[in-house]
Amino acid sequence: MAGNRMQKIGSVFSRTRNLLRIGVIKKPLWFDVYAAFPPLREPVYRLPRPRYGKVKDVVRPIFYQEDEVRAKFYKVYGSGPRPFNLSQSNYKSTCQRFVEKFNELKEEGKIEEEKLFEETGKALLASGIILQRRGTDKVAQEDHQGVETRGSVLHLQLQTVLEEIQGKKKDQEEQTPELAETQKENPLPS
Amino acid sequence: RAPSMAVPRLLRAGERVVPFPARPARVTPPPAVGASGLVLQSRLVPCKPVDDKLLSEPLSHPDFFNVKELFSLKDLFDARVHLGHKKGCRHRFMEPYIFGCRLDQDIIDLDQTMQHLQLALNFTAHIAYRKGIILFISRKRQFCHLVESTARECGEYAHTRYWQGGLLTNAHIQFGPGVRLPDLLVFLSSLNNVFEPHVAIRDAAKMNIPTVGVVDTNCNPCLITYPIPGNDDSPTAMELYCKLFRMTIIRAKDKRRQSEVFNELRSKAEGN
Repeated sequence: MAGNRMQKIGSVFSRTRNLLRIGVIKKPLWFDVYAAFPPLREPVYRLPRPRYGKVKDVVRPIFYQEDEVRAKFYKVYGSGPRPFNLSQSNYKSTCQRFVEKFNELKEEGKIEEEKLFEETGKALLASGIILQRRGTDKVAQEDHQGVETRGSVLHLQLQTVLEEIQGKKKDQEEQTPELAETQKENPLPS
Repeated sequence: RAPSMAVPRLLRAGERVVPFPARPARVTPPPAVGASGLVLQSRLVPCKPVDDKLLSEPLSHPDFFNVKELFSLKDLFDARVHLGHKKGCRHRFMEPYIFGCRLDQDIIDLDQTMQHLQLALNFTAHIAYRKGIILFISRKRQFCHLVESTARECGEYAHTRYWQGGLLTNAHIQFGPGVRLPDLLVFLSSLNNVFEPHVAIRDAAKMNIPTVGVVDTNCNPCLITYPIPGNDDSPTAMELYCKLFRMTIIRAKDKRRQSEVFNELRSKAEGN
């Protein structure tokens, strides 16, 4: 029985059609079906060559208008107070509510652009969703705002501790909670 | 290896019709009893020359088995079929099927997937209608049981284990002369365990067997006859595909039984 095993030349259909034409095989089951309903692209082999030179990304990135608001939300508030529940397909996260409120207030047009963000936060607070800003509960970040490195933060904290020890004559019990506090503040990401 | 049941037709010398022995979900469908009390033949016995009309009539309808109603865009979206891999894993030939890239994750264009899925299911249905042998292939361990049970329920075959080199190309030596090879291969995941294209894709192209396959964003869709761009990693997506294939095949086989019974009745009525 004849056959054509050259998978890199033409498609399955073209090879079978040619073999049928010369009469060396009998018609396979799928031939008529393929002829009646061909695929959108003929399955011809193509060499997967890499692209040379400057590679241009043909697939477009997906971004929406609301993404700007979302980015700002996540930067200021971190991920929302509630975890996402992905099992429900119609779940609305805190961020999504924020975005919708933002768009509503924007359409009303009474508030200026710069104030819109804070206004949306207040509006959400009014409706019961508490948003906590990222980094407000960490004391050291408020004190040393400009300081980047952990080493200098530690140095300044030790200085203040030394001053407190030298300045006032405190009890051991009062000093240890302060030391514990500075130790807790140490592993902060600055 | 020849079946021991009586063969009603003369076979050509050396020709035996033996089904492709694939393990482990190999099940021959129980012989069904039609309305007229007729016991229809199982596929181990060669079919008698069927009416040309029986075979050619379904081809004139664009959607004879009405596969369009089995799925909708929302079903595909809920089953997370549109989620692809990250940008770095993207295969160059999948770019036309990708809608866009959201934060480095590829999103597959579901409009195109709908078209491709409809063509693929239609083709599968026609093959099943013509009593072709369908082989399901998936090398994902997570879904191997699901694929095997799907095949068992359809009455078709599945191969979800290590693919030995010459299963299709060297069948006559590995299984004996006169083996009937599958008429369609359905890939529920076209990669093997080392993220390379499954050998059976190339082998099917060599043996001139059409293939239907779910191609993810890291797969090569060139050699697959009817590719279905879609996610092949989520359990929901795989369950959806298995459900769709199972329903089409069962539908096509039922239709075939109905048509045969109808023809028998009609020829009897004409004979009387």
